[in-house]
Amino acid sequence: MPLAACSMAAAASKPDLFDGILMAEERFHGEGYQDGYAEGNRIGVTEGRIYGSLHGARIGSEVGCYLGFALTWQHLLHNCTGEKHSKKLKALESLVGMIQKFPYEDPTYDKLQEDLEKIRGKFKQVCSMLNTHPDFRIGLERSVLTF
Amino acid sequence: MRAGSASGSGMATLTLSCRLAAHPDSRCWFVAWSPGGALLASCGGDRSVRVWGRQGESWVCRAVLDEGHQRTVRKVAWSLCGNYLASASFDATTCIWKKTPDGFECVTTLEGHENEVKSVAWSPSGSLLATCSRDKSVWIWEVDEEDEYECVSVLNSHTQDVKHVVWHPTQELLASASYDDTVKLYREEEDDWVCCTTLEGHESTVWGLAFDGAGRRLASCSDDRTVRIWSSDEQGEPGVACSSTEPSWKCICTLSGYHTRTIYDVAWCHLTGALATACGDDAIRIFEEEPLAEPQQPTFALMAHVPRAHAQDVNCVAWNPAEPGLLASCSDDGEVAFWKYQRPECC
Repeated sequence: MPLAACSMAAAASKPDLFDGILMAEERFHGEGYQDGYAEGNRIGVTEGRIYGSLHGARIGSEVGCYLGFALTWQHLLHNCTGEKHSKKLKALESLVGMIQKFPYEDPTYDKLQEDLEKIRGKFKQVCSMLNTHPDFRIGLERSVLTF
Repeated sequence: MRAGSASGSGMATLTLSCRLAAHPDSRCWFVAWSPGGALLASCGGDRSVRVWGRQGESWVCRAVLDEGHQRTVRKVAWSLCGNYLASASFDATTCIWKKTPDGFECVTTLEGHENEVKSVAWSPSGSLLATCSRDKSVWIWEVDEEDEYECVSVLNSHTQDVKHVVWHPTQELLASASYDDTVKLYREEEDDWVCCTTLEGHESTVWGLAFDGAGRRLASCSDDRTVRIWSSDEQGEPGVACSSTEPSWKCICTLSGYHTRTIYDVAWCHLTGALATACGDDAIRIFEEEPLAEPQQPTFALMAHVPRAHAQDVNCVAWNPAEPGLLASCSDDGEVAFWKYQRPECC
């Protein structure tokens, strides 16, 4: 719209009646855009928060399961002696250590996925050593643990 | 009529010496020579493992191991002493078979993978076994003198199906190949196994791996129809302060333009240095390194090419560890073939 641009340049500081009428559509368009953008932002943040909360809960739930499992077995094997048991205890200790070191407060931690995979791997190794094969179902429904 | 032999650049020949209907009405997925070279194990879609021995000019079936798995057996591997066979199956288990005077007996079944086990390999020390699976993980098992197996590590480094694992010939270094287009190397650091290197470069699934005899180079083959040669630079880069003793691996050669389909397997002969490839275009090709090339910039020449080595995709090639030039191959057509590779007598 070159005509509008020229007239805007010519009457820069004076609020011109003609200007107001000519530019009405563009102004409403702009205001509407700003309103929509702010609204979208708000909705996005809310949605993101819900999603983050769900995702965080899922990870927390999974890792929490592993921690409970590991602490229980440490307790069960606490008084056992022998090389076989000491290897199992060592692996359990390692799993507990990894879980405790995991930075729960920081979703931007750059090695989040990598560390989670290490925890999962260690958990699988421990299960293999203990010869138990738990079947976790993590989700919005009640978690079911079977042994 | 299928061509039994062909020469590549007119210099070397690959001649068929025997063909077996090893796994009839099924696929033969893999073949492995026993450490002494006297026996060949094959496995297939018929859920069995068969062991073949020489009888005069041909090969006969010495044992059938068919009670171990519920689904396809994808790979077999001999232990270093030759007394055990490990079989990896789509039924998510790995069976360990012990050689007895009557044949073979299943002594353990390793469980743990969530789905199809794709490969199994014994370490050079004989005390470790590695398996890998479609569940994206690599498992390392330790075996003691009483044949007890224990999982020592579960490695989730790959992001997709892991197709193959192979150990370095002398060190406790493991290599894995995956559908995620990478090759990963693992070693033990402070009591735990970690992924120490990732080799990127292939543009599609990496199907096979082979170390050279000295373990200084690694060959990988891929769905991208190339073979890549990787070398470990043990001295480190000049001018760069080396804080770690990790050798760094880099790709020093790419063989492209030779294969018209996916390359499923690569085998590096530890006796002669020849490289054999198994391809989805039914052909077997043999490459050799040019003698005058630089060690860090080698070139390989195609020495022999049999275009219709099998009626279908060639899944595996394996060099006999004791007899130079003896190559075994197997295919989706269910057959196992034995070949004689002969280099020119002159120069």
